[in-house]
Amino acid sequence: MQQNVWQSVLGELELTIPKPSFDTFLKDTEILSQTHDEITIGVRNVFIRNTVEKRYHEQIKQLLVKNGLTAPKITYVQKPSQGKKTVINRETTTPLNRTPISSSAVDDLLSSPSSAPTVHTNTLNPRYTFSNFIVGSSNDLAYSACQAVAANPGVKYNPLFLYGGVGLGKTHLMQAVGNEIAKTQPDSRILYISTETFVQDFLDSIRFKKKGFSTKYRNVDVLIIDDMQFISGKEKTQEEFFHTFNALHQNNKQIIISSDKPPKSIPTLTERLRSRFEWGMAIDIQLPDYEMRCAIVEAKASLSGVQLDNPTIEYLATNIKTNVRELEGALNQLLAYAEMRGVAPDASIAEGLIGSARQSRPQHVTPKQVIDKTARYFSLDSTEICSAKRDKHIVFPRQIAMYLLRSELHLSFPKIAQELGRKDHTTAIHSVEKIEKASKLDTILREQLSEIRERLYT
Amino acid sequence: MELSVTQENLSRALSTVGRVASGKTQLPILSNILLQTDGSQLLVAATNLEIASTLHVGAKIISPGSITVPARLVSEFVSSLPKATVTLKVENDHLLVSSGKFTSRINGVSAEEFPELPTINEDEAIRYTLNPGDFKQALNQTIITASNDATRPILTGIYWHSYEGALYLAGTDGYRLSERRLVETDSEVAAIVPASTLQEVLRSMHDDISEVEVLFDESQVRFRAEGIEITSRLIDGNFPDYRQLIPATSEVSAKIDRSEFMRIVKVSGLFARESGGSVTVTVDEDAGSLALHSIASELGENTSEASADIRSSGQVTLNSRYLAEALNVIEGSMVEFRFSGKISPCVMSELGENPNYIHIIMPLKS
Repeated sequence: MQQNVWQSVLGELELTIPKPSFDTFLKDTEILSQTHDEITIGVRNVFIRNTVEKRYHEQIKQLLVKNGLTAPKITYVQKPSQGKKTVINRETTTPLNRTPISSSAVDDLLSSPSSAPTVHTNTLNPRYTFSNFIVGSSNDLAYSACQAVAANPGVKYNPLFLYGGVGLGKTHLMQAVGNEIAKTQPDSRILYISTETFVQDFLDSIRFKKKGFSTKYRNVDVLIIDDMQFISGKEKTQEEFFHTFNALHQNNKQIIISSDKPPKSIPTLTERLRSRFEWGMAIDIQLPDYEMRCAIVEAKASLSGVQLDNPTIEYLATNIKTNVRELEGALNQLLAYAEMRGVAPDASIAEGLIGSARQSRPQHVTPKQVIDKTARYFSLDSTEICSAKRDKHIVFPRQIAMYLLRSELHLSFPKIAQELGRKDHTTAIHSVEKIEKASKLDTILREQLSEIRERLYT
Repeated sequence: MELSVTQENLSRALSTVGRVASGKTQLPILSNILLQTDGSQLLVAATNLEIASTLHVGAKIISPGSITVPARLVSEFVSSLPKATVTLKVENDHLLVSSGKFTSRINGVSAEEFPELPTINEDEAIRYTLNPGDFKQALNQTIITASNDATRPILTGIYWHSYEGALYLAGTDGYRLSERRLVETDSEVAAIVPASTLQEVLRSMHDDISEVEVLFDESQVRFRAEGIEITSRLIDGNFPDYRQLIPATSEVSAKIDRSEFMRIVKVSGLFARESGGSVTVTVDEDAGSLALHSIASELGENTSEASADIRSSGQVTLNSRYLAEALNVIEGSMVEFRFSGKISPCVMSELGENPNYIHIIMPLKS
């Protein structure tokens, strides 16, 4: 409630105050507490407090009144920092090629009972844990690998490379590993960053000759890097990451990487990084199947304290297939709508909402589109796929098109054969079976299928 | 605003204060210097919202007023002027600077846009008056061990605190630790001052100051000397209880001439470059010597020795850069170097009862 009011106060302030000033002084402020006679506003540091107090107080006061918060007194305080306690490093100095001493003697000497609170600043979101990750057949391998890593960081599966499409839980799993390690081994330093941050830090270290780049990245026990595909094409950064990787790996520090493609398919990734990424364990996270989507909807709904009936769950799970994030979004939309209207969420509301927001997809994909997109993906003409030619480079795409017509549009085999200009439906049966079987073993094929699917639905 | 001031005073003020003004910020006005009349003086100020530096300069004020102008440009221009009187005049957000045959018109920004300068309630603040020599030495002795690892912000500061009736400064980066006892005091203080602030303070204090005043309130610290005031935020949090990490006694001890120790550290450091500074210290009681051994696999190796007053024998491997930096800031002609085994902390201090400075280095794994 009060945060919403504050957001609208900020929104209005933003209109009247120049952007740099707003970003510097007001952007990350918040209402810390509110009583009848006092509103406390948290600001980042004491310098900023002075300026906000002297310059923007009148405006803030007026806007608060306008938004329905009146209090005779408004105070500004420095926001308490979060979890910034720290202890003396229990490692000894580590120059190149040296592992730190970790014998118990030093541990005992350097760690002292009263300096026990050992929460290191980390960038992990505590919301992501193993317990709220929903496991199904498409991600159970990734899940167990992550649990193994969390139990024994740096020992098993190093590096751990997770890949899969957007919104399938890569970030959730990686952060869950971090959070789990932070819980079981509170002393370990865990760094979770996006590849973009790494690149930016590296550039800053060059441009402003900033020190501390290698200390920041090489003095950690667990390094978690999200969205590794963004490193492609950045050669110097790749080189630096290569050295960071080696330094950590040599010291048996756990490295966890995520990307939307397997290492093989990241374009312009240098060979030595590619081979390193494939060194430990590379696992893909697949699209969730129907049962799992049902489980996700049910679990998320009950987290919000709502019990959904089966038709509603099934409706959502049937109509949103490609992305867990989207599924959650649709669910949130449904719950919010039901709450606002004061009605129980049911399938008909869901249909109205989702139908209006996004058309349920498969109905909009035609067999012709499937054939066209598949042909284009393999740089063929759709007439070639439908022709009688038996060249290998045409047969394979044709089989994939058949498989997709079956799996995505649920066409009958005779209909599939007809769409592709075949007379005999057994060709279609054979093709679908062949691709189905191959896709279980062949990761590249799986990649191709999911990419074509993605193109179909966008 | 219109005033005149001597070139020397103005130039010194601009270059001292201007260092704080930073170009790397999203708020463009932070790269400006504030010029403002304050009674019969000219106030020169800059801030980066972590540190604020202000200086009062004697001036002949003709009419009061204020303006902010780009720090780099104005300080470089004023420093190139001949030693004479400089006239400053504000006209519609422009600053006219003239001296003899030079005139400039610098585009400025109204002072109303400038962030508020920090204030400290001087009556309630905890106050120390320090001898500038001791003050500078203490800063130099502790800043070197502060960390620059931004993931552990507390260690990027120096811990100013009272303990058993004295004011102590301590800093650690997790690999080494330093502690300096500064003055006797009755007041209680515990504050973590960013090492970057202290570096700025060191740079801003010129040699002929007679005393330094330090004031703490709950969230800020202010250093004041001869018209310069540097105010900084403090680092939020609790400094680790480092005292328990200082070993009271050690098995092996070497009392050695400091300059001789420095020389052999420097020599053996030459051969330790490719091993990350790793040198092995061997203390031999029978020979009465302290020897440093370092190996550069491609280039060769080195053993350097110095005679020392030894108790017991032993060996430990350290980073030679840490050794050199510690020896550089320890006072006195003799130092004591003590350690217990290969993995316990090494302690270095000035020779004598109850030294006021202790430096601790963690060994490398050999």
